[in-house]
Amino acid sequence: MNDSMMDLLVKALLDGDQTQAIIEVGKLREAGVRRRQIITDGVEAAMTQLDAKCTVEQFNLLEIMLCGRAATGVMKVLYPLGAPPLQTKAAVVMGTLEGDVHDLGKNILKMVLTAKGYRVVDCGKDCSLERLVDAVEQEAPVAAGISGLITTIIPQVRQMKDKMAERGLGHIKVIAGGAALKQATAESLKVDFIAQSAFDGLHYLDQIVGVRHE
Amino acid sequence: MPTLTVKFEAGVRHLSFIPGPSLRHILDATDTQVRSGCRGTGACGLCLVRIESGEAGEPAFAESIHLDDAQLAQGVRLACQVIPRHSLGIVILAPAPKSPWRRLDGQGKRRKNPFPLNELPQSVNKPYGVAVDLGTTHIRISLYELSSGGWLAERWGLNPQMTAGSDVITRLVAASESPAQARAMSQWAIAAIGEALWDIAIREGINLQQVMRLTLVGNTAMLALISERNFDLLLQPSHWFNVIDCLPDDTVSWSIAWNIHPQAKIEVIPPLAGFVGSDLLAGVITTRLMEDKGGSLFIDFGTNSEIALWDGAMLWVTSAAGGPAFEGSGIRCGLPAEPGAIYHVTLQDGLWDYAVIAGDKPRGICGSGLVDLIACLVRLGTLTPRGQFSPTVPKEGFMLVRGESDIVLTKRDVDMFQRAKAAIGAGIQALLANAGMRYEEVQRICVSGAFGGSLNVLNAQDIGLLPKISPERVELCGNTALSGCEDALLSPGTVERLQRLADRAKIINLSHCPDFDMHFLENLYLQPLRGA
Repeated sequence: MNDSMMDLLVKALLDGDQTQAIIEVGKLREAGVRRRQIITDGVEAAMTQLDAKCTVEQFNLLEIMLCGRAATGVMKVLYPLGAPPLQTKAAVVMGTLEGDVHDLGKNILKMVLTAKGYRVVDCGKDCSLERLVDAVEQEAPVAAGISGLITTIIPQVRQMKDKMAERGLGHIKVIAGGAALKQATAESLKVDFIAQSAFDGLHYLDQIVGVRHE
Repeated sequence: MPTLTVKFEAGVRHLSFIPGPSLRHILDATDTQVRSGCRGTGACGLCLVRIESGEAGEPAFAESIHLDDAQLAQGVRLACQVIPRHSLGIVILAPAPKSPWRRLDGQGKRRKNPFPLNELPQSVNKPYGVAVDLGTTHIRISLYELSSGGWLAERWGLNPQMTAGSDVITRLVAASESPAQARAMSQWAIAAIGEALWDIAIREGINLQQVMRLTLVGNTAMLALISERNFDLLLQPSHWFNVIDCLPDDTVSWSIAWNIHPQAKIEVIPPLAGFVGSDLLAGVITTRLMEDKGGSLFIDFGTNSEIALWDGAMLWVTSAAGGPAFEGSGIRCGLPAEPGAIYHVTLQDGLWDYAVIAGDKPRGICGSGLVDLIACLVRLGTLTPRGQFSPTVPKEGFMLVRGESDIVLTKRDVDMFQRAKAAIGAGIQALLANAGMRYEEVQRICVSGAFGGSLNVLNAQDIGLLPKISPERVELCGNTALSGCEDALLSPGTVERLQRLADRAKIINLSHCPDFDMHFLENLYLQPLRGA
């Protein structure tokens, strides 16, 4: 039974049980289910459910991280060489700014966006503004995402748009997210959008590229 | 606990107290203080109260001098001379003008190594020394007699820069954007220290002109702001792990503002780097961490927690930003450790019990109470190590106290706590990895900062807030910044020790630690720490 097997994968992903999730993927592959379908009906479905759970605050950071780790593990099993799993909607450049070691929020967003068909260019953590803007110039993304858990990075966030404008990249949207930035307004941080969660960020991006939500 | 009932025109106030200190001391710890002009020796005769009910004991000698028979017959007494043993009802006849400065009790504190006499200036008869801990939220100062090392007075109060932002970065940004704002913030801090000193002067009868030495510690941002030096550098990540010069250009204006002796030696202990202030150095000095054989861990809990590990040859230092959960901030029913905060929670035979600071009705829960509550819930199985409540807990969270103000622990609170804990855990792991040590090799842990002396070590270990070593080897040190500053003020050789510390210190930037994410994730679990 294809459906119930897929449900088991979704459950393992939501439980954050990486080992179990990989076992379920193995079974699905044995049953002849295509990789592409595992992504859309398994990983993507789990992300959608995670979205709902995060909205009602049922999930804490640990649960989201475990889920993310499991999903990343599944992707690695399906595409060991890291080939892009889906036709990409658009590219997004993202990074955690210099001085901040917490790039978990960014990693969660990366996972969600990848699962939803975006090509994510990850500049990593402790990333300088220069490096981030360089990547934006090179990759021509629809948006640049910057995250930070600690307030120390706020002064850098506020320079991002200006630095991009200096190189004629002012039309590209800047999205900020992370514990330190969620309380602030987009104006005060001089960005286009503040994502309250990874899914909030996804919805905003979908809006920009014109993806309709069912 | 006996209760002190204070009657005012506006109503009554109940204060629980542990018998021992005088009535004046009990009142001094609150914001309803009695007027005074001496250090509670009975010399000034200003601290008049009337006993309304209860047994206050026989009048002391000082009272028979200041009070006449009619007053004594009416129950009038000197608050400094009455040592209540049981519950008492009083009226304050001579209320003190409102002061934002609270008194800290250090009665009988004496330093073993007083400042050597030959180094003292001869011009002043009885020289005093002042130690200042300039914190982001609070300022603490203490006054000592330099020749004997005897404690005289102590005060704490809010840092007035709080009005410009409660966190360091907001203040640094404000200062960098406007020179006027920078000037003002420096002036506020200087004025606040002056007010605290003035409060000591008038209430304890101290002549500030006898203050010949003042030593100040603080985090790098606070020092840069009060000195108006290089605060803008602190906003640049490249400087966080470097030395930042934030010593004042001139301290003459400070001694004038504080009304201390014009030749007083004012010393600001320099920080090690942008993220390692002299408050941390003071903590390492006062716990004598570097005199151990090795395997000593120092943790200063706060919004940014500083962690130091002495391995016998090197001092590994880092700063872990985990958010303000330990200080009760960002938690639904969180409170700082102040009257009305639950600071201990126990669960015995299925019954919850708790202790409240100053014995008041509970208004919220502070960091140490949160540790107890979470540890008990995990032990009970009501909360999983992942931070999920069992299905028996309603969606609103776990209700600890039902009453005028309900005290609830939400899943989000637990999440905030897990994040703060994970930052510390990952920081400790990074230091151990750099020193090439394992958890089992930790011999001693010094806990300072947010939890004060109230942390239940076993509970903290069970949820992985501290490495699991024998609890006797975990020391709750309270505010180590002020006490280390006092060491620097009073003990010869501290300057040399600070130099040795700077030579041996190695600052670890957590963003350069390859396994940080993995360690952070592991440390989110509410379970004992596992081997590194």
